[in-house]
Amino acid sequence: MTAFFRMGGYAQYLWPAYGITFAVVILNIVWARRTLARARREARRRLAVRDEPVLHGEEV
Amino acid sequence: MTWTWFHRLGSPPHIYRLATRLTPWFAWPAALIIVAALYGGLVLAPPDYQQGDGFRMVYVHAPCAWMSLMVYTTLAVASAVGLIWRMKVAYAVAASCAPIGASFTAAALMTGMLFGRPMWGTYWAWDPQLTFELVLLFIYLGYMGLRSSFDDPQRADRASSMLAVVGFIDVPIIHFSTTWWNSLHQAPSVLRFGKPTIALPMLIPLLMMLLGFTLYFVAILLVRLRGEILRRERSASWLREAIVS
Amino acid sequence: MSGSAVLPAAEVRAVPSAFDVAVLALARDLRLAFRKREQLIQPLAFFAIVTTLFPLAITPRLAQLREVAPGVLWVGALLASLLALEFLFRDDAQDGTLEQYALSGRSLTWLLFAKTAAHWLLTGVPLALVAPLAAGALGAPAASLPSIIAPVAVGTLALSLLGAIGAALTLGVKRSGVLLSLITLPLAVPILIFGARATELAIAGESFVAPLELLGAFAVLGLTLAPLAAAAAVRISLE
Repeated sequence: MTAFFRMGGYAQYLWPAYGITFAVVILNIVWARRTLARARREARRRLAVRDEPVLHGEEV
Repeated sequence: MTWTWFHRLGSPPHIYRLATRLTPWFAWPAALIIVAALYGGLVLAPPDYQQGDGFRMVYVHAPCAWMSLMVYTTLAVASAVGLIWRMKVAYAVAASCAPIGASFTAAALMTGMLFGRPMWGTYWAWDPQLTFELVLLFIYLGYMGLRSSFDDPQRADRASSMLAVVGFIDVPIIHFSTTWWNSLHQAPSVLRFGKPTIALPMLIPLLMMLLGFTLYFVAILLVRLRGEILRRERSASWLREAIVS
Repeated sequence: MSGSAVLPAAEVRAVPSAFDVAVLALARDLRLAFRKREQLIQPLAFFAIVTTLFPLAITPRLAQLREVAPGVLWVGALLASLLALEFLFRDDAQDGTLEQYALSGRSLTWLLFAKTAAHWLLTGVPLALVAPLAAGALGAPAASLPSIIAPVAVGTLALSLLGAIGAALTLGVKRSGVLLSLITLPLAVPILIFGARATELAIAGESFVAPLELLGAFAVLGLTLAPLAAAAAVRISLE
């Protein structure tokens, strides 16, 4: 097992390379989900703003 | 021959629903294939006779480099489709591509440097492949810079798409010129793979990685695309429907 | 216009072809530049200053400078040419000339081609003529100096064409100078590589046909595509 992690002496370069790549992979997932969530929030707010004048109209 | 499929391709609500439905079909196979490729690459593949276990860095460096180019190709093709057919969804695809491509180009540069350290004895050498990735990163940054400098989203779409198409014509020339430049000065180069002599147990995990990352890219793209479509859709009652669901 | 004798003069003047307009635009730009000389002088002065900075930064020894001379010349020429590109279409966009022209229904392509040609004649060609002097100051042997003109002339032509697209795309952007460099310079990498190689060979007194041909091919590609792309880009920024 330790031999696996030592990677024939290349561990100090190999594991950071894997780390960076999968950090970017995960970051992209997080970013994508966050942009979608933000777009949904904004869309919801836009809809709310659009509905408001109609409500006021009904009150008057 | 009916063109309804083409028109439906341009309809944001249809694409939004399709993207929602398709995302897991790309995401889960991508995860499975990448995990299998990791096992194949880190455990099953034998060490290289020259580079020992260090060659295993190829299983992350190559997918990153592959992503940097494939994403740019997608970006440019979507841009061209947007410019030619004035398709809103195509612009949304192009806008979704840039951050993904730029981040993987940066990752390709960093993994390339880590790959280079034990091979060249230095993190940075003006290797043609690394230099090309660096220029590609600048192209991505220019694209994003141009896009963000317009207030009007439509103008931003069209201007940045134009740049993407021009860049797409130039990218092969840049690649040729950096390779040619390097061959003149005889700098070291170990990052040349894909030679037909590569052993099969080494090659299979590599191909699986490329496939896995491609599927992963489609999944990420679909999620980002939904966000872009929501942001662009001004009126439309389906917006309500899309948010509630 | 040899056929004008048959037609009434007024009618000919009313519908000049796109090519005639291009010639007129080119003549106008050149005349304006010679009247307001800073447009002509500033890029050259910039180029001279940049090439002076390098010996000050590196070493006064000519033997060492000779090795970096092609790089210095090309980085200087690229930046000097870009400096003038920002204003390539700006004045005509601001006073509405471009909009009028686009509305007239004629192809913008020829007009933009003429303006790009004017930019090259006003910055690229002077830079090519001054480059041998700079190369001589950086230690290039006197016999090699005349052969430096051709690569710089062809390279700046390619850069003017490439830069015209960038200038057209950034028309609607405030303070576009840095952005223009950011989008143009990465795409100009082949020009720099081929050009610097041709100059290196020229200074060494060897044949530089191969890199010059590559540079020429890039310029021809630019000649055929860049005016079209720039016209499309101008229409985008006018909308």
